Amino acid sequence: MKKFFSLILLIIIVVGMIYTIHQIPFGKNQSKIGKYFVANGKDETGAANIVTSVVVGYRSFDTLGEVTVLFLAAIGLGAILTTTKKQNHDIEKASLILNTGCRFLFPLVLLFSAYIFIHGHLSPGGGFQGGAVVASGFLLIYLACPGKRINKVGNTISESVGGLIFIILGAIGLFVGDRYFLANFLPKGELNTLFSAGIIPIIYIALGFKVGSELNSVIDKMMEES
Amino acid sequence: MKEITYINPVLLIAVPLALAFIIPILKFVWEKSIKWIPVAGFLFDLIVSITLIPIVLQKNIIVKIGGTTTPFSINLVVGPAGLLLSIMISLAGFLVAIYALKYIQEGDKTKYHILFMLLLTGAIGVVLTGDIFNLFVFFEVLCISSYALVGYLGNRAGIESSIKYLIQGSIGSSLLLVGIGLIYGQYGTLNMADLAAQIKTADSISLFVPMFFMITGLGIEAAIFPLNSWLPDAHSSAPSSISAVLSGIAIEVGLYAMMRILFTIFAAESFMGFLLFLGVITLLIGEMSAFSQNNIKRMLAYSSIGQIGLIVFAFSIATASGLSGGFFQMISHTLNKALLFLATGFMIYRTGSMEISSFRGLGKKMPLTALFFTIGTFSIIGLPPFVGFASKFLIFKAALAKQELLFIILIAVIILTTVIEGAYFFRIIQTLYFKESDDKSSKQESAITALIPMFIFALLILILGIYPNWIMKFIHSAASELLNKMSYLRSVLG
Repeated sequence: MKKFFSLILLIIIVVGMIYTIHQIPFGKNQSKIGKYFVANGKDETGAANIVTSVVVGYRSFDTLGEVTVLFLAAIGLGAILTTTKKQNHDIEKASLILNTGCRFLFPLVLLFSAYIFIHGHLSPGGGFQGGAVVASGFLLIYLACPGKRINKVGNTISESVGGLIFIILGAIGLFVGDRYFLANFLPKGELNTLFSAGIIPIIYIALGFKVGSELNSVIDKMMEES
Repeated sequence: MKEITYINPVLLIAVPLALAFIIPILKFVWEKSIKWIPVAGFLFDLIVSITLIPIVLQKNIIVKIGGTTTPFSINLVVGPAGLLLSIMISLAGFLVAIYALKYIQEGDKTKYHILFMLLLTGAIGVVLTGDIFNLFVFFEVLCISSYALVGYLGNRAGIESSIKYLIQGSIGSSLLLVGIGLIYGQYGTLNMADLAAQIKTADSISLFVPMFFMITGLGIEAAIFPLNSWLPDAHSSAPSSISAVLSGIAIEVGLYAMMRILFTIFAAESFMGFLLFLGVITLLIGEMSAFSQNNIKRMLAYSSIGQIGLIVFAFSIATASGLSGGFFQMISHTLNKALLFLATGFMIYRTGSMEISSFRGLGKKMPLTALFFTIGTFSIIGLPPFVGFASKFLIFKAALAKQELLFIILIAVIILTTVIEGAYFFRIIQTLYFKESDDKSSKQESAITALIPMFIFALLILILGIYPNWIMKFIHSAASELLNKMSYLRSVLG
């Protein structure tokens, strides 16, 4: 009986969703705000990458919230995981090739991630993506060289400072120019060059550090538990 | 027109957020100061919110963020309703943070304070935002910190209820997100005022489905029957200071978001009849379950379900006086339940047990704590001259003003639940004062940092109970703001 009701409910939901999705004009350029972003994004924010102009320009407040969600997830995981009992078991040492290869790749991965978040306003990518690449580099080291740990103090500081830079830059906007939070108060520069788009590249660099250190602390916790 | 200068309301969110980011650094530099950070942050929020009252009573403040063109960038809409809740949140945050100075002794305190700050910051974001996706983001901030805080003590029950809450809450958040996605797909905008301007009625299926998803998603956080099975476990296994904000703030914020979506975006008056019944059923089930509990925190948690049912009922009357009653009941529930949980926290600490039977004779051993607890129970039952009486009275008045048989029957049911409520709360009072304790240990009061916030809550309960008119103007304008879709639209879109 329970299963029967679940099935009925599921069918109703699925039919409703299909009907609703059918109403959405996919593949046509009809979204009002979409059109506006494509038409005015470059001029208003100075970022050549339209996605960036939305993520760190028009909807930067959401981005601030999302970084906070990630920050919370890392902390929440720590709050719950640290309370469970730890088991020590030996990890087999990685082979020489793996070990050397990972240590060779590590700086390259970091360099690549820096490229991604520094060029976030010009090419696909940005702070979140760059931060994820940073964390993948550290994960490589964790897997290949057991016993190595990140510097927790440095990690925490880069995490906090990254978030603070975002908020402080936003708050400066309250006092200059148009006086709104997260206003782009720096000169926009020439489109499609590295030094353009005002505060966007700075925010993205801060985000790269913040997201990278948050994911690092998650990896660190998980590796400790495993 | 003369330009009035005021502090930008975005700082209500930005300042606590920045302080929460500073806490991890402070851990290395000056660890003792960490527990004062939430106190400072919410004191700031409380003061700023109160200074905004006269401005908001005249017109809504629209705060632009990240751009100046309205439907394209995010904006906050600080109206009377949002500001009223933001004052409640920062007041509860401030007082509970003072309580936590002494109360939180175990676990990783740094994490506790960060999570506590972000929980309430998320709540402030939800009540102030004017953008539906932004609402989702802050809602996630609120929910994720609650999941972590429920499991903060790290015991088996805590982790179990935390995971249970996590699973149900995540389903709720996903439903909300799917609903927002479906709406965005159809209208191509996320600004609530812009959406409201385009949606005339919620009668078509393509609007009903997203509305259903959003209401179900928010209903899980707001603990409306039948979506509330996580609540008793979660609220009872969290530390008491957290139970106070979860019961007093988090569920109400979920409910406010739901009402904002229903009234402002969908203008779904036809849906209200359904919610009316859900509210009364939630109330009845909550109070009946509370009656059969022997564990004090579970009893209070079930009582929260009952109270949220009453608030849903009040909002679903969908008249100005009904909404006023709902807002007043929210205020009174925040004050009552926070006071009850805070008092319970130290009573449990003292006796080492959550069983009501172990509280025998505490009225003599902890006279002040027991007195504050008694004030909280009297108020929540609705005895004059406490605030609970004023708010329940307002709801009854609003329902009877409808002059329909249905409302008279529902009011009868609500009065019945008040009797149940009285029965189980008086049982505790009896245990506290009229049963002799076995052990003859001496008097030992709660810590002074706990007594001060309890005293302020009790004082507010008494003052607002005797002089409800002091805040009635504010509550009425909050109610008319929530009810009047057109004035909201005009204030945002110009």
